[in-house]
Amino acid sequence: MTSLTHLQRLEAESIQIMREVVAETENPVMLYSVGKDSAVMLHLARKAFAPSPPPFPLLHVDTRWKFRAMYEFRDNMADEIGMDLLVHINPEGVEKDINPFTHGSAIHTDIMKTEGLKQALDKYGFDAAFGGARRDEEKSRAKERIFSFRTAQHRWDPKNQRPELWKLYNTRKNGKESIRVFPISNWTELDIWQYIYLQNIPIVPLYYAAERPVVERDGALIMVDDERMPLEPGEVPMMRKVRFRTLGCYPLTGAVESEADTLPAIIQEMLLTKTSERQGRVIDSDSAASMEKKKQEGYF
Amino acid sequence: MQAVKLRLDGLTVPLVSQQTGLSAPTISAAWKAFREGGWAAVPVRPRGRLKGQANVLDSAIQQWLWEALYTQPPAGKPGWSSADLAAFLRDEHGVELTQRGIEHWWENQGLKHEPWPLSTLAKQRSQRGRWYRQAVAPQFDRLGGADQRWQGGVRRVAHPQGSVYQLYLHGLRGRLWMRCFKRPPLADDYLAVMQTLIGKSEENKGPIALVFHGAWLSASPEVTAWLTQQTMFWLVPVPADMGLAS
Repeated sequence: MTSLTHLQRLEAESIQIMREVVAETENPVMLYSVGKDSAVMLHLARKAFAPSPPPFPLLHVDTRWKFRAMYEFRDNMADEIGMDLLVHINPEGVEKDINPFTHGSAIHTDIMKTEGLKQALDKYGFDAAFGGARRDEEKSRAKERIFSFRTAQHRWDPKNQRPELWKLYNTRKNGKESIRVFPISNWTELDIWQYIYLQNIPIVPLYYAAERPVVERDGALIMVDDERMPLEPGEVPMMRKVRFRTLGCYPLTGAVESEADTLPAIIQEMLLTKTSERQGRVIDSDSAASMEKKKQEGYF
Repeated sequence: MQAVKLRLDGLTVPLVSQQTGLSAPTISAAWKAFREGGWAAVPVRPRGRLKGQANVLDSAIQQWLWEALYTQPPAGKPGWSSADLAAFLRDEHGVELTQRGIEHWWENQGLKHEPWPLSTLAKQRSQRGRWYRQAVAPQFDRLGGADQRWQGGVRRVAHPQGSVYQLYLHGLRGRLWMRCFKRPPLADDYLAVMQTLIGKSEENKGPIALVFHGAWLSASPEVTAWLTQQTMFWLVPVPADMGLAS
């Protein structure tokens, strides 16, 4: 028996989970946020079902505030891979012009992401949704099982989770329950980068360090990605060499100063870093146990 | 004196050096002076550097230098030069520090910025070369014989005391001028510098070109409005990732 590397083991585990979901559920979907974890998930899905395309569509819950480079990348990828890409924007949010500046990050995230996701899942009747969350990102994600059951209202009960002993997954659902499935839950940020490097997976260029126009907001470096970003009186964006460890809505995603403009340099940086990639996400620090609260309400 | 006495006793320069702790050139110089002018010609100086010339500046002097850099430069100056800072220390605090000493301190604090070798880009077959020929050279050509060719920028300098935002400028001969901030500079800060350059230019009655890196000035309505009013001030922004320093 040949011994597998740790990445090969993680890959095998993720592929097994994906195949299990496709075998056990009726209408699965893969949530696609355009980030590096989504890129790895998509790559794994294509491997899991090759030579056919994966038997489920991609779903992007769009908030209208992602980085421009993410939209370009998403559209190019959709054309290239030939999978169905569903894009859902919460129409109520559009009508009320919900945005991170006038409504704040908490309301924006709740309406455009959490409610948007629930709407999309209900609209298309998906009973299982693959998500790219990982345990090392955040404490509430650390305690969530790989198969995370949600009520008909998409709520998560952290105190009522099924055991996953010896990687045996109980996929039976009650009534109108649905499942959020996290095939890369056991991967670390470093694993993701190593895998991207080894498999040559395309990612959004924002992950690589480059000079970008940024302003400082509460200690975070926020990129001025378009003209919607309001500047303070007299403020002039500085061009600083930054990169993003995580990607979300641009006004809510902090960059880090970095010189890492290649994958090996990023991996090198990962080996030395002592903070979570989500330290740059404003939405994670809205309030204590913010992520767990959001997850209970239906956030992925 | 001791060195000369030992030399008179017949000791070699290395032996004298060993016994006195003085360097060989110092001993040779003292010996030469003695032979040419007797004891009166032997230079006797206190050992070590003069006060204020130490490798590490006194903390009070460093504090004064920082305080100066965080304030407006002298009237008519686009920033603090090493000469201005030396004059400031002498006039305000009675401390004598050479320009070289201040530049050495800049270097230790990460404030020293070298001018970009723009003229060497003219014949480069690279992105930088193309940018120079298309964006910079035409403006420099328009200046004709005027020496108002400036380059500058803004950057954050990592410092143990916290973030330092530095506005720096280099004149035609590469002299460094700077001003520091505890927050990213505002439009008024940039405009104050540019206005000073205009003032200098008016003295010379000529146009001025500034190649600038590190700020997205066109995103600022205040700076854009000011620039549109200027007919003799040409701003050339350095595109992102041009890597001029490398």
